[in-house]
Amino acid sequence: MFENRREGLALALPAATFTLLVFLVPVAIFLSEAFRFEGSWSLQGYVQFFSEPLNQSVFFRTLRLGALVAFTSAIIGYAAAFCIVNLDGKARGQIFGLVVLPLMISPVARTYAWIVILGRTGIVNDTIVWLGLSDTPIRLLFTETAVFLGLLQLFLPLMIISLVSAMENLPRDVIPAARVLGANWFQVFTRIILPLTKEGLVMGGTLVFTGALTAYITPAILGGSKVLMLETLLYQKVNVSNDFVSASVIAMILIVMSFSANLLLKRIATARR
Amino acid sequence: MKTLILSTSALALGLAASVSVANAQDRTLTISVYSFAQDAYKEALYDPFEEICGCELVIETGNSVERMAKIEANAADPVIDMAVISSHDALALAEQGLLAEIDTSALSSHDLLYPSAQDPLGNGMAVGYTFYASSIVYRSDLVTVESWADLLSPELAGQVALPNITGTQGPLTLMMLNAALEQDAGDFSPTIDSIGESADDIVTFYSRSSELAQLMLQEEVIAAPVGRFAWSRFQDTPFPFAWADPAEGQAGGMNVMIMTKDNGNEELALEFMDYWLSTEVQTRIANARIDSPANMEVEVSDEIAESLTYGAELINSLTILPPEDIIANRDAWVDQWNRTVIQ
Repeated sequence: MFENRREGLALALPAATFTLLVFLVPVAIFLSEAFRFEGSWSLQGYVQFFSEPLNQSVFFRTLRLGALVAFTSAIIGYAAAFCIVNLDGKARGQIFGLVVLPLMISPVARTYAWIVILGRTGIVNDTIVWLGLSDTPIRLLFTETAVFLGLLQLFLPLMIISLVSAMENLPRDVIPAARVLGANWFQVFTRIILPLTKEGLVMGGTLVFTGALTAYITPAILGGSKVLMLETLLYQKVNVSNDFVSASVIAMILIVMSFSANLLLKRIATARR
Repeated sequence: MKTLILSTSALALGLAASVSVANAQDRTLTISVYSFAQDAYKEALYDPFEEICGCELVIETGNSVERMAKIEANAADPVIDMAVISSHDALALAEQGLLAEIDTSALSSHDLLYPSAQDPLGNGMAVGYTFYASSIVYRSDLVTVESWADLLSPELAGQVALPNITGTQGPLTLMMLNAALEQDAGDFSPTIDSIGESADDIVTFYSRSSELAQLMLQEEVIAAPVGRFAWSRFQDTPFPFAWADPAEGQAGGMNVMIMTKDNGNEELALEFMDYWLSTEVQTRIANARIDSPANMEVEVSDEIAESLTYGAELINSLTILPPEDIIANRDAWVDQWNRTVIQ
């Protein structure tokens, strides 16, 4: 396309320079703080961070909720994706559109909707009281359950889209063939669908897990300061404590967790070959 | 292709040049303020001052920590000329040598300020411009609050929010709870432990008054400590909110004006501070229910006074937590809070 390679590079130069100056350099400077302590290079920031019981509990809560959201979205996602790829053209487009629709709505609006649902005067509590399961509304907001539901709703579409894309590439005859040969649905899923869609699962799992780790709005609104996650703790470190060392340590931990999740999922997918 | 490359470069250069031109100003004052009520401030303070001084005000907003961090980061060549901030945050900046002494002889309204606002930090480091009371806002149709200790009572369990320890209201609530629980006045540790024991009964620990107002309007919370500056958020709502007059009294605080050291814009900064402290402007701001006046000459109607921390009698009755006590103990409070309450 280009007369020579320089022209191509010249066109990419403004975008590359912009990215370098306003993203890579500031992020590198910020993250380098994670390896500095009292003026010299050190891992002391990490030692201090993990020596705090509060930070430990926030770390494990983030890991636990991220994994739970990714796992649950994979279960729901497989069922939804299987349903979608087996629908006819028009219905398929409509259902897929409904799956994608939440992605076009602000995460803030989507999260606030959960306040209406989970609040003391919300639909869930009204139903609980109406059914006589409790005399008074129960506390649902500012709990791990609320954060889990919010994150699941936020990232489930990404898992479904990834799995639909993977399932569309499944040869049409393999499932009927397996059934004819006597495989039950559990065997069909574990021996046919799962191995042949593992790339989609890795992609979806990484997106959902990473998204759940790095989401700020949903844990902040539905969890508040009582259900801190690493991202909300990071915000507090910068905006409340002015503690940039701890903030950069948290940022580095989040990056490592995201890459580790991706590598782990890929390793699992490869091991099953 | 070469034309495309040249066009792209020209566009980028053009944009850069336009940004530079837009930034060029002759007489400019950069101020750092809290982000709330900025539209009202613009009408009552910023626009009239710009008209009088023939200058441009550059307004930087944010929470205290963000704004303090900016002042600290640019200490060698200040980008902020003047700021308004809590008295204890101002003291922290003063202790770092980042503030200039304010020439109060250039402030024509200085003598009209309540005595406690004239030199709240000593050495002329700050001037108070507003007071605020802090008490408990509650749903009068559901509950009665007569003591700060009621916040931890079984009647309010599961329906109370407390301010986070890291905010301005947090230490004030600790101080009043400490008094209500009859603990040693200088030691908040047992009170933090008591809050930790009741942590499951507290809906959340809020950071901003807007967040609390939303929770109370959604009926998630029916009682919480809050600054009087946020009281207007609870008026004219569908619910009957009341302002408590607890047996232990109300807590209070003051926000102050400061000037950064060696900013090179001291004259204009003093001009702006003088205008803000004048009876005319303080009255306008009070009538707009933005801030309570520190100027003793300000007179407002009973209806407006109801929304403010207004009058010598009320201001003198407030229990103030000395800024130096907050600075000295804040790290220890936050540490214990994280271990026993948030944990």
